[in-house]
Amino acid sequence: MNDLQNENPNTCSSRKRRVFPGKMLFLFLLTMLSVQLYAQQTVTGKVTAADSALSGVSVVVKNTTTGTSTGSDGTFSIKVPANAVLVFSYVGFADQEITVGNQTSINVSMTGAANQMNDVVVVGYSSQKKATVTGSISVVKGADLVKSPQPNLSNSLAGRASGIILNNRSGEPGYDGSSIYIRGLATTGSNDVLIVVDGVPGQIGGLERLNPNDIESMSILKDASAAIYGSRAANGVILITTKRGTSGKPAISASFNQGFASPTRMPKMADAATYAQISNEIAYYNNKAGGMNQQYSDEEIEKFRNGSDPLNYPNTDWAKTTLKSAALQNQANVSVSGGSENVKYFVSLGTLYQDGLYKNGATNYKQYSFRSNIDANITKDLKVSLYISGREEDRQYPTASAGDIFRSIYRAYSTLPAFYPNGLPSLGIEGANPAVMSTNAGGLSKNPVQVFNGILKASYSIPGVQGLSLDGFVAIDRSWNFTKTFATPYLLYSYNKTDDSYNSRIVGGSNNLATLTESQYSQVQVTSNVKLNYRRNFGQHNLDLFAGYEQSEIRSETFGAFRQNFPTTQTPELSQGGTAATDQTNYGSSYHFTRQSVIGKASYNYSEKYLADVQMRIDGSSTFPSDNRHGYFPSVSAGWRISKESFFNVPAISNLKLRASYGLLGNDNVGLFQYLNNYSFNSQLVLGGSIVPGIDLVKLANSQIHWESAKKLDIGLEATFLKNFNLEFIYFQQKRSNILAVRNASIPAVSGIVNPYGADPLVPSENIGKVNSNGIEVTLGYQKPSRNFSWGVSGNFTYAKNKVIFIDEASGILPYQSQTGHPLNTYLLYNATGIFRSDADTAKAPHLSVSQGGDLIYQDYNGDGKITADDQVRSKYGNIPQITYGLVMNASFRNKVDISIVFAGQAQVSQYVLPESGTVGNFYSSWADNRWSPTNPNGTYPRVDTRASASVNGGQYSSTFWLNDASFIRLKNVELGYTFSGNWMNHVKLQSARVYVNAFNVFTITKVKDYDPEGNSGSGQFYPQQRIINIGANIRF
Amino acid sequence: MAVALLAMATSCKKDFLTVNPTDRVSETAVLNDSSLFEDYVVARYIGAKLQDKEGDGTNPGFGRGFEYAMWSSLTDESIYNNDDATWLIQRGLLAPENLGNAGVLWGRSYRSIRECNFALNNLANVPMSDGHKTMLKAELRFIRAFRYQDLIRNYGGIVLMGDKVYNLSDDLQDAALFTRSSIKESIDYALAELTAAAADLPLDNGDTWKAGRATKGAALALKSRLALYAASPLYNAGTWEDAAKAAQEVIALNKYSLYQGGYGNLFLDANNSEAIFVRFYTKNANHTHMEIANGPNSYGGWAGNSPLQNLVDDYEMMDGKAITDPASGYNPQDPYKNRDPRFYATILYNGASYRGSTIETFVPGGKDSKDGPDNWNSSKTGYYLKKFMNDSYPLQNPWGNAGFQPWYYFRYAEVLLNFAEAANEAYGPDVTPSGASLTARAAVNLIRSRASVAMPDVQAGLSKDAMRTAIRNERRVELAFEEHRFYDVRRWKIADVTENAPAGGITITKNGSNYVYTTKVALDGRRFLTQHYWLPIPRTEIQASGNKIEQNPNY
Repeated sequence: MNDLQNENPNTCSSRKRRVFPGKMLFLFLLTMLSVQLYAQQTVTGKVTAADSALSGVSVVVKNTTTGTSTGSDGTFSIKVPANAVLVFSYVGFADQEITVGNQTSINVSMTGAANQMNDVVVVGYSSQKKATVTGSISVVKGADLVKSPQPNLSNSLAGRASGIILNNRSGEPGYDGSSIYIRGLATTGSNDVLIVVDGVPGQIGGLERLNPNDIESMSILKDASAAIYGSRAANGVILITTKRGTSGKPAISASFNQGFASPTRMPKMADAATYAQISNEIAYYNNKAGGMNQQYSDEEIEKFRNGSDPLNYPNTDWAKTTLKSAALQNQANVSVSGGSENVKYFVSLGTLYQDGLYKNGATNYKQYSFRSNIDANITKDLKVSLYISGREEDRQYPTASAGDIFRSIYRAYSTLPAFYPNGLPSLGIEGANPAVMSTNAGGLSKNPVQVFNGILKASYSIPGVQGLSLDGFVAIDRSWNFTKTFATPYLLYSYNKTDDSYNSRIVGGSNNLATLTESQYSQVQVTSNVKLNYRRNFGQHNLDLFAGYEQSEIRSETFGAFRQNFPTTQTPELSQGGTAATDQTNYGSSYHFTRQSVIGKASYNYSEKYLADVQMRIDGSSTFPSDNRHGYFPSVSAGWRISKESFFNVPAISNLKLRASYGLLGNDNVGLFQYLNNYSFNSQLVLGGSIVPGIDLVKLANSQIHWESAKKLDIGLEATFLKNFNLEFIYFQQKRSNILAVRNASIPAVSGIVNPYGADPLVPSENIGKVNSNGIEVTLGYQKPSRNFSWGVSGNFTYAKNKVIFIDEASGILPYQSQTGHPLNTYLLYNATGIFRSDADTAKAPHLSVSQGGDLIYQDYNGDGKITADDQVRSKYGNIPQITYGLVMNASFRNKVDISIVFAGQAQVSQYVLPESGTVGNFYSSWADNRWSPTNPNGTYPRVDTRASASVNGGQYSSTFWLNDASFIRLKNVELGYTFSGNWMNHVKLQSARVYVNAFNVFTITKVKDYDPEGNSGSGQFYPQQRIINIGANIRF
Repeated sequence: MAVALLAMATSCKKDFLTVNPTDRVSETAVLNDSSLFEDYVVARYIGAKLQDKEGDGTNPGFGRGFEYAMWSSLTDESIYNNDDATWLIQRGLLAPENLGNAGVLWGRSYRSIRECNFALNNLANVPMSDGHKTMLKAELRFIRAFRYQDLIRNYGGIVLMGDKVYNLSDDLQDAALFTRSSIKESIDYALAELTAAAADLPLDNGDTWKAGRATKGAALALKSRLALYAASPLYNAGTWEDAAKAAQEVIALNKYSLYQGGYGNLFLDANNSEAIFVRFYTKNANHTHMEIANGPNSYGGWAGNSPLQNLVDDYEMMDGKAITDPASGYNPQDPYKNRDPRFYATILYNGASYRGSTIETFVPGGKDSKDGPDNWNSSKTGYYLKKFMNDSYPLQNPWGNAGFQPWYYFRYAEVLLNFAEAANEAYGPDVTPSGASLTARAAVNLIRSRASVAMPDVQAGLSKDAMRTAIRNERRVELAFEEHRFYDVRRWKIADVTENAPAGGITITKNGSNYVYTTKVALDGRRFLTQHYWLPIPRTEIQASGNKIEQNPNY
């Protein structure tokens, strides 16, 4: 992949088998010992680019770890042995090798042509020169990921690469990740992407909470190149490689960030006078004979408006009362890397703190993480690496969920105060006062999670056979997820104006006493892998083979307990709760899952001109019955570097590669034991005064259950032209079949096979679905390196469209309502074509029997003169965008000031949002201010109703009126940095210092009116996405 | 390379991929362990939760029972204050695609029927005594018949499944799945099943057959109800004589009698002689927290099922006269005075005492009116539900500490009313049918003379028609909110009157110390159309059948 971000001097690229350029500025790779042994000659010189000094260029003695880097004036000095060859490298420039001979002064001019063909890309179970890669793989560098101040790593990818579709659904600290889809939706089943960290597939702990400072690079396998991960690769694979040490004296790097977060967007709600008027209208619609002032007189409404009586006629902005203008967050990170020739290390420590948005809120998130990656050469042939990382994620929340708090913010009437003038909190909406719910008044919910990942790797070059080696690893992942929720009662008040008194009401806890829930969920995964490799060149024939065996086993245990009727709130311990047998309950369950795989890959290329890869994986999964357990996942891919042909003589094009891949991938991400009829103690009935457990059939057997398969075709063209331009064009196609889906719609309920609501379906997953998808990805970049002003811009565009070929549907479904032939996740809605302007107006069009002025006009789609369910039609788009795009820009002035900008956008996407409005909750002002009413017959929104979800203008007849075009373009990230230079730094032993300001979700252009267009809540009630402004500093010494 | 690959493949242990479930029970175990099998059988008393806002606590049983929006709120007994998908039914929008609360009985019933059939088909091989098998078989047939009753009284003639258990491998477009029997065939099938079940079910609950499991009386009571329905005008599939006889069968058990500990208390504890078949609840196996769900807004309640003026007006005066009778002494400006004591046990009205305070639905300023706190939870009708409310349960923050009231599927009063109605229709008010021990009038009077009710006897000498009116009103009052009214007005074919009447409420305006009572419409647009005599079969089901299931008329 093109990556035009890598000229930042802090970048650390992933050329791990060659040299370690990038952050080398302050690395001294000579140990004193090696200096004494080998130093025979001192070479000095200056490195320039376009006649300007270039600092930070890595200067390394070839085939050693001896090296230095150029200073701010571009000069270097290095002691080298006789006959040394120096390698000069700098990201964005072609490497240069210069034989020292007897020269003592060497001046080098780096040429501008960025040739990334020599970069090494991490691919499945191996790494490959970018030049020889035949698959579609996007690479994002760790150095770019740290530019996003959002502490959740998944958000840092937005806009950076084609083919990866991200939507940040919520901003709640601890739960603020993005959904990740590679090339959009491809199946009705799980679309989860496989995360591989340092070679461990599905490492526990995942991607979101990794410390971005620890990450060297991320490779995103989008096509059949992922087939080496077989059964789990159908939805794409993200390979994460963490940083490792390089020889030299310790390089210490520290950074600190201070961020300020606020919601990207929040709906504006109707003010008190408007809401009072609306409640009059609602009462009127329910009882027209009662007139227009059944709830409030005009005088009262005026009091709401003029604020003359704040006790009885307040005007409350609940969001303002509950939320701060900005929440603080900070991140600190220290890492040390270095080592001797035989032992190298990278160790890091990171902390993260995020405060919630609530005033006096209970919500916060703290994270502490460490990583220690050590590589050691035990003998000449045997290398051992130990990767250990761990983190503590401390989540703390009020006992009310963010969903409930925001629901209450949007529901609570503006006509009720949050706090009375004397300071007492009001009842809010039904005893839910968000300004109190968000604090610890109702107790706390603490959710500490610990994750441990350990990997022991070894590789052994088998003596006697050149190119033959054996490697393997054992990885142990563990996580512990503990929750302790102590819900305590507290008082809210209502005001009685008749006798000017305040009546308290106890809310929180249960039965006016505290309750305690504790639970523990732990997981352990053991993965082991052994692999035999053969890598050798025979003249121009380059061969790279491996075959291996891998198995993994995952177990989890859950248990929990509950107590209520605590005599006092002083004792939040299970042992101190109510003593009646019925005051205490507990539960527990466990889970065990195994996979076993044989993998193999053969790569061949001739002179790096003709490239071919063949991969195969055989997977066994405990999900499937023994006779159907194994899946075979082959793939082939090939590439042709046309630019290497002698007949290709186009000087403007320095690299041109055509590649294609085709392969079969799988998915086994469905519930276990579906090949059996599952019975479970599932219900409690009361017989003879006590509870008797009842057994239910909870899952019918599907003895035939096996792999879902994905056939992926990918054709790509890569080019580098006019020195500074990069282009990649990809066409991809995917045919998903045997999709593990549940038959539901086609099974008549009279058969008795009926799926329960809100629980695992009775019907098992069956290999019945078929979905085709295809699309293109285009990336075009320009990178202009130069001493004074380097800049680059890269745009990426992804179009990913899917079409349901088979999905279980009722045999009698109307053709235009069926999902078959349409994209996944579309909505079935009435077409709202307008609003009846008056009761009389309803006569003009087919309408519901209850239609009146102010109601939505629904299209009589089938033309039968009636509005029935047959008039619903399928929406064109679902809530996963078909088009996503990104624009990444960066510039650097004299290596002092740098700026980088990421825009991300999406199009061809729809999200249905019906606010919970009515007497049940307040209205967005977009609706309130534009509603139809008897006095506003030209309103652009329908009349208000008691409960939008049950209204003929809302949930009762879900219509396109509430379907939003969720397209947007947003400035996702921007970073402006300043790198210090000057002699003063040497005095304080500082190798580098950089300060920066960056921001996340800076602004958004969208047609969506009230909420963040990345949200996917059908009611709009969620913890909003965050806009974060951050300042930070990095120092190295 | 291939050799190495092969070597590794064979070296892996096969066992590694074999994982045994620990959180679920195998079918073999269920069918070979008598106690597990019995745990499966008794779980059939409970059905699957099939939509949101039901099964709050434990899953639904038969019918709807205690849920947020009760079945009463689809009738002229109450409206559900905050809609919850009931108003569309009240407003005549009920359609195959718009089912509101009334869409799940079809699926839930057939799911349970399949489960019963599975157990019935496998019972023979379960290791247990023949005697016990006979009882389980009868129990399963009772449950299955109850599910059929849920289907029949909502949909009319339905698809009879026999003992068939459909599996995924079967042809699920089989015509047999979509052939509806006539109402008569459906009822006759259920009645025959119940006759057989009654023969083998024990007469009493006890240590071995715990309270909550069906008894002979339960099977006969269900039979009585079905026979009554069958004889009714809408069904026209049986005779009143048979209906009277079926009720008499329960009476003749001499096991049941009316509870004399107070009409209100009856609904708080079902350990009494009136209870025939009951769904019990207890802590950690509760139903909806009724007090907060239905309570007045100033108490923190949500006004849930708010009684309608339509029902309030049907409570007689204490002297036994209807309020429409000029001689009744009813004063519209003091409307709650001297009413049938069941009124006070069923409805909370302005001025009623409740939880140490007084209900204030008056305006301006009444704490339980729109002027009170949380006013979207103030009753639109001016009334709150009292029946079922247990004042010893917490109303505020009740979570886990309320919702334990029993739900009567059958109580003896219903059987007496079944008898009265059938006997009156078949023989007139004052004839003791052969084999019976009392007349229609006597049966009604038994109910009216319950201690704590003590209403005067039904006037002697009433014509059959007048007696019919009296019995219908008695049924409305005695069985209010117990899921009868919806079916009664349909089978009597009076729903086009009762369900088309506006949903009434009361506005009480306080003037100094005087109250002015003005009736009002609590919810505009109440409407009932001919097709609504039966529920529509869900559109999804019609589509799943490839349009082969015949929809009820006019949908």
